[in-house]
Amino acid sequence: MIEVKNLSFVYSPKTPFTNQALFDVNLRIETGDFFGIIGSTGAGKSTLVSHFNALTKIQKNSGAVIVDDMDLSAKKIDLKKLRAKVGMVFQYPEHQLFADTVLKDVMFGPKNLGLNNAEAEKRARDAIELVGLDCKEIAERSPFELSGGQKRRVALAGVIAMHPEILVLDEPTAGLDPKGKREIMDLILRIKSDCPTVIMISHNMDEIAEYCNKIAVLKYGRVMGVFSPRELFGSEELLESCGVELPLVTELAVKLNALGIAVDKSVLTESELFEEIKKAVG
Amino acid sequence: MRDVSMGQYYPASSVVHRADPRFKLVILILYLVTVFFCDSFFSFGFMTFFVLVTIFLSRVPILKVLKSLRFVIVILLFTTLLMMIFYSDTSGAAPLAEWGIFHIYLNGIYSAIKLGWRLMLLVLMPTVLTLTSTPTELCDGLESLLSPLKLLHIPVHVFALIMSIALSLIPSLIEETDKIINAQRSRGAAFESRNPFKKIKAMIPVLIPLFVSSFRRADELADAMDSRCYRGAKGRTRMKKLKAKLSDFVALLFWCAITVCILFLNYNWCGWAFITALGI
Repeated sequence: MIEVKNLSFVYSPKTPFTNQALFDVNLRIETGDFFGIIGSTGAGKSTLVSHFNALTKIQKNSGAVIVDDMDLSAKKIDLKKLRAKVGMVFQYPEHQLFADTVLKDVMFGPKNLGLNNAEAEKRARDAIELVGLDCKEIAERSPFELSGGQKRRVALAGVIAMHPEILVLDEPTAGLDPKGKREIMDLILRIKSDCPTVIMISHNMDEIAEYCNKIAVLKYGRVMGVFSPRELFGSEELLESCGVELPLVTELAVKLNALGIAVDKSVLTESELFEEIKKAVG
Repeated sequence: MRDVSMGQYYPASSVVHRADPRFKLVILILYLVTVFFCDSFFSFGFMTFFVLVTIFLSRVPILKVLKSLRFVIVILLFTTLLMMIFYSDTSGAAPLAEWGIFHIYLNGIYSAIKLGWRLMLLVLMPTVLTLTSTPTELCDGLESLLSPLKLLHIPVHVFALIMSIALSLIPSLIEETDKIINAQRSRGAAFESRNPFKKIKAMIPVLIPLFVSSFRRADELADAMDSRCYRGAKGRTRMKKLKAKLSDFVALLFWCAITVCILFLNYNWCGWAFITALGI
């Protein structure tokens, strides 16, 4: 459970470059949520999630973030415990690979948690298998000679091997082809069975609509509201006021409807649309 | 980290900010030479006055400028101290204090103060330059000033290009470093550790990805330039052409006048009595 209370954040305070990224943000993310965070570039999404594992320190008198029983606005935080609990996968996580073999790279996180070699290696091998790579084949290879999609999986494995309870993903599918995107999203669903809470930033409304059960919309550093996908994508006023676009499938359904094919305009996934078309065409 | 990206440029709207970077560079060189000609307390005061006027005109908070002194404070104190205790007076005056090989003379104290003062003047003005000009402006100014070297077949344009690419990559590299550090921190890397060995070891997971991404960026940039048919300096025009304004010439003339004044104060070519009266 993550609770954000009246959180504000200012970059470079008291300089000519000062820039307030977050204004009085309130959020509650329950255990088991697949929580989507959307908003245009510069809306403060990344700044917000970087608070979740104390990468960004909460400024004085700027609210609080509570992760389970840990208050992150406290002076002393048990960072090791927090970072084991909250796993963070950044944009283009493959840019963080550094070790000479895949196995060593994935073991980096678990070893930082203080696990011994054997335990760390076991976790690493499990994680590599979980992300759908063949451990035997890939473990001793250099991460730099893998393909883009494989690199991303290795980077994901590096975070999963730490066995987080909350996984934060910043645009996990950016820069991948449609098939790669689908594979990564399936992979995230598989991970979710071990790591109950997933928080995802994305610009891809189809992913958001299909996978998330709650969606927070950020605009200019403020939370416009937290909605279910049906609420958000079913209401034209909300979409208008939040500046959010429809998922492609929903847009397609709306267009089909305008053409006189009686499909439900509120479909959110490809399979739903498929069923609707089958029903309408008969 | 973020603050490094613009050098130490302090954005403001002032005469000093708007001045042509070429003139600023020439004036700076002239100023640095002049500082070495300062000899009497009066000439130091005279120079300091005009430095303060420049700072005032630049609308940069004076504390911001003085902050630059903190980098040289150790050298400054060290050299003035050495100067003071190892000064050997040849004029035959008695030392104020003696202790073993250390002698303190009145003239020694004077020279030490002058030395420290000179060092401060040498640091302050370049700081004003970097506070009031962006790295790109300085780079352009330098290229323009060095352009006569083209006659000697020195590839000035290439050097300037290298410099400006390096400068323009700094912000993105800093951003990249920030991101990588954050990624590794969230994987439990111990940058927060007090143990220096652990700290050094923790840098490896940052440096390697950084190298990899620098090479990637360099490759991408080379491709991008290639695909836009970049062929070097020949026949290229500039988007932002440097234009000297009347005020730039006035400023240059003004500083030339100051230099002449200092030279007169130092050498007293005409034997004016009032200069002698201004003393040490």
